[in-house]
Amino acid sequence: MPPAGIWIDGLAQSCTYMTMAFGMVLVFSILGILNWAHGQFYMLGSILLYYAITAAGIPFPAGLLLAGLGMALLGIIVKVVIIDRVEGELYVGAATLALIFFFEGLASLLFGMQDRGLSMVLPGVLEMGGLSVSYQKVAVIVFTLVVMVVMYYVLHFTRMGKAIRAVSQNPDAASLYGISVERLSLVVMGIGCALAAMAGGIMAPVYPVNPFIGRAPMIMALLAIVIGGLGSLSGAIVGGLILGFLHSVIAYYLSYLAEVVLFVLVIIILLVKPQGLFGASIK
Amino acid sequence: MMQFFKTIHLMDYKNIVPKLVIGLVVAAIVLLPVVTKDVVILSMLIFSGLWAVAAMGFTLVLRTGQFSLGQSAFMAIGGYTCAILTVQMDFPFWPSFLLSGIISGLVAFLLGVVVLRVGGIYFSIITLALGEIVRIIALNWESVTRGSRGLVTSSPLPISIFGWELANFDASPVPYFYFMLCLVAITGVVFWRIGDSRLGQIFAGVALNPELAEHQGIHLMKYRIIAFTIAGVFTGYAGALYTHFLTVITPMVFGLWQSIQAMIMSIVGGISSLVGGPIIGGVLLYGLGDRLSRLQTPGLSQMVFGATVVLVLICLPKGTGLVELWDKFWKKVVWREVEYEHDEMED
Amino acid sequence: MSYLELQNVSKHFGRLAALDQLDLKVEKGEILGIVGPNGSGKTTLINLISGYFKPTKGQVFFENKRICCQRPDQITKKGIVRTFQSNVLFPGGTVVENLLISSHLNYNTRSWHSFFNTKKWKEDNEQAVGRAIELVNLLDLLNDIFLQADGLSHGYQRLLGIAMALTANPHVLLLDEPTTGMNHEEAMFVVDKIKKINEQGVTIILIEHNMKVLLGVATRVACLSFGTKIADGMPEDVMNHPEVVEAYLGTEVV
Repeated sequence: MPPAGIWIDGLAQSCTYMTMAFGMVLVFSILGILNWAHGQFYMLGSILLYYAITAAGIPFPAGLLLAGLGMALLGIIVKVVIIDRVEGELYVGAATLALIFFFEGLASLLFGMQDRGLSMVLPGVLEMGGLSVSYQKVAVIVFTLVVMVVMYYVLHFTRMGKAIRAVSQNPDAASLYGISVERLSLVVMGIGCALAAMAGGIMAPVYPVNPFIGRAPMIMALLAIVIGGLGSLSGAIVGGLILGFLHSVIAYYLSYLAEVVLFVLVIIILLVKPQGLFGASIK
Repeated sequence: MMQFFKTIHLMDYKNIVPKLVIGLVVAAIVLLPVVTKDVVILSMLIFSGLWAVAAMGFTLVLRTGQFSLGQSAFMAIGGYTCAILTVQMDFPFWPSFLLSGIISGLVAFLLGVVVLRVGGIYFSIITLALGEIVRIIALNWESVTRGSRGLVTSSPLPISIFGWELANFDASPVPYFYFMLCLVAITGVVFWRIGDSRLGQIFAGVALNPELAEHQGIHLMKYRIIAFTIAGVFTGYAGALYTHFLTVITPMVFGLWQSIQAMIMSIVGGISSLVGGPIIGGVLLYGLGDRLSRLQTPGLSQMVFGATVVLVLICLPKGTGLVELWDKFWKKVVWREVEYEHDEMED
Repeated sequence: MSYLELQNVSKHFGRLAALDQLDLKVEKGEILGIVGPNGSGKTTLINLISGYFKPTKGQVFFENKRICCQRPDQITKKGIVRTFQSNVLFPGGTVVENLLISSHLNYNTRSWHSFFNTKKWKEDNEQAVGRAIELVNLLDLLNDIFLQADGLSHGYQRLLGIAMALTANPHVLLLDEPTTGMNHEEAMFVVDKIKKINEQGVTIILIEHNMKVLLGVATRVACLSFGTKIADGMPEDVMNHPEVVEAYLGTEVV
C-alpha cells in the first residue's frame, strides 16, 4: 500500500485531468469538434497567472479568475476567428492542432523556454493527524470541488445549462429553449477554455511553469475521455479520477513505466468496452 | 500526320503541358546533385522528402476515414529499430534497414487490430498517445536506447561495383539524396497504385459510409488495418533513413510536434492526392520550418509556422489543399478558361 | 425449418424492449411485408437479421444455420442484404462509382491483381461494370450513370440504394421502408421494381409503414406492435384483423 502522500498526489493529479477532460468533452458535445489545443490554454493560463502575480502583484485568487477570464476571451476569439472560418471537421482538427505550434511558440517567445516557479504562493503545510499536505495541493483539490459543484449547478439549474445539456443530446433541441446554438457554442468554448486556464493556474504553484506544460495534461485528459466515453461529462470526470490515482500509484511502484502501463490499460478498456465505461455512444 | 498534330493541338495540350512541367521539375530534382553538392540544399530536400513519406502515410490512413496522429511514433520505431540493430547489435546496415519498416509495420498492425475496431477520435487519441509512449520508453530504457543521450549511428558502408565506388555515404549527402529519392519514388508508386486500384475504391467506401460498406460485405477492420499497416511500414523506413542521415536518434527527434507536422503537411498539401499533395506539403512546409528555425529566436519559428498553417486553412476553400492550386493555376492563369460550373447549378 | 427463421428473439435497449420474444418464419421466394406503427420494432427487426444489432435473447437461422452474432459483412456474404432508410449511398461519388464500391462481393480477383492492373483484373472489372449497368437498366435508374449520386432526387437515391444491395447478389433482400416520402405514383413505381426483383428468385422482406403499398405486392404480411407480432397471414386478412386496426387507430385506419 503506497503512503497516504501518494494518494493525495493522485487526487491532485486527478483534479487537473478531471477539469481538463470535462472542459474538452463540454466543448465537444456542443461544437462537435475536439479542441486539440486545450492543453495550451492550460499552459497559457499558468503563464498569465504567473505574470499577474509577479509583475502586477495581483493576489492569487484574483489572478486565477483573471487567467480564467482572459483565456475564456481567447477561446471565444479562437472560435470566431478560426473554428468558424475553417470548413470541415478534418480541417478544423488540423487548425486546432496547428494552434498548438502557435501558442507554444508565442509562449516561448514572450515567456522564454526556462522553468519558472510560483512556489512562493500559498506556502506552508496543512497538518492533519500525522498527514501533512501542502496548502498548494489543498487549494487544487478545493478549487476543483468548487468548480465541479458550480458546473453541476450551472448545468442543471440554469436555463443556459439546461440548454447545453439538451443540445449535447440533440442539436435541434436548443430552439426549444429559445437559445441559438451559435451563442451557446461561444459560451461553452469560453467555459471550456476558462476551466483549462484555471486548472493550469491552480497547478502553477505545484509544478514549474514553462511553455510546454500543457502537453502532458492534455494527453492524460484525452485518455480520460477515452476511458469515460466521448460525449459523457460524468465519464470525463470519472475517467480523470481513475487516471490521476492510477498514475501516481503506479508511478510509486514502477516510476517512469506508469505512463506505459496506463496506456496499455486504456487500450484494454477500449477493447473490453469500446464506447468507454459510461457508454454514451456518439457515432 | 497533320491530323495527328491537330488532334494533339486541340485536345490534349492542356493535359500534356502541365505533366511535362511536372516531369521537368522531377528531372531537375533528380539531376540537382550534378549542379550543386551544397549540403544545406540537399539535406533540406532529403528531410522534406522523408517527411513527405510520413505525410503520405497519413493520407493513406485518412483514405479509410481514420485520422492518425502517430506518424512520428512510427518514424521513431523505424529509426530506433535500425539504430539499435546497427549500433547495439552490430548488424550490417541493409538488413537492419529492411527490418525497421517491418517492425514498424508490425506495431501498426498490432495497434490497429485493437484500436481500429473503435476508430474515429478514439483512434486519433490513441495514436497521439502512442507517440508519447514511444518517447517515454526511448527516454528510460537506458540499456538499449541509451536514454536522452541517444544512439549515434554510422553511415552504411560504401557501395562499390567492380572496385568502382558507386556511393560513399560518409563523403557527401548525394548518396543519401538518391536513397531518399528511391524511397519516395517507391512509396509514391505503391501508394498511387493503391489509390487507383480496387483497394482504393474499397477504402473510399469504408471512409464515406462505413455502415453501408459493411452491409455490402466489406470487412471494415480488414481494410482499415491494411491501410494503417502499409502506412506504418513506409513511415518506418522514412524514420530509419532519417536517423541514419541525421547520424543520431534521441527521444527528442520524433515527438508530438513531428506527428502534427506530418499531418499538417498532408492536409495543407491536399488530401485529394495520395502522392502529390504530401510531397508538395512536405517540401513547402519543411522548407518553411527550416528557414524559420534559422532565425535563432526561440519560439518565433513555431509561432509563424502555426500561424501560416492556420491562415492557409482559413484561406483555402473546403476540401482543397495546395495541390489543387496547381490545376487552378493552369486553368485560370495559363489557359484563362471560363468557369463551366453553371451547367451543374441548373440541374 | 423455414428458409429464414427467427426464434424467440428479443432486443432490449436498457429497459425498453424494442422486440419482445418474436417468432417469424420466412419461406423461400415470398415477399413478406412487415407493417406496424412507428416504434413498433420494424427497423430493429432488420437490424437484427442483418447483424447490425445482436439480439439480447433468441436465435436467427438462415438455411438451417445460426447467423446471429456474426458481423454484417459475414451475413451479407451468406446472401442476406439490406437497404437503409436514410444514409443510402456513398456521398461524393457518381452512380457508377457507388455501384462499383458496393459490388465488393462481385469481384473474384484479389486486390493485388488490380494493383498490377493484370488482364484478369481488367476482365473482372469489366464484368462488374456490366453487372452494374444491367442493374441500372433493371431498375430504370436513369441512363446517365455518371451523374453525381447525391445530386439525384430522393426517389432515385432510394432506387440506387436497392440497386447497390442487389450488387451483393442477395438471396434475401431486406428493404427498410423503400417508399417513405414518395407520392403514390412513385411508390407504385418502386413496388413494380420490387416485384421484378422477386421474379428473379430473390426472397424479399419489405418493411412498410403504409399498408396500401403492401396490398399489391406482398404475398404475406406480418404486423408488429410494441415489439410483438400481433398478426400474420394473407394481406387482406391482416388488414381486417381487429388488433391491427386498433394498433393503427388514429394514425392510418385502413
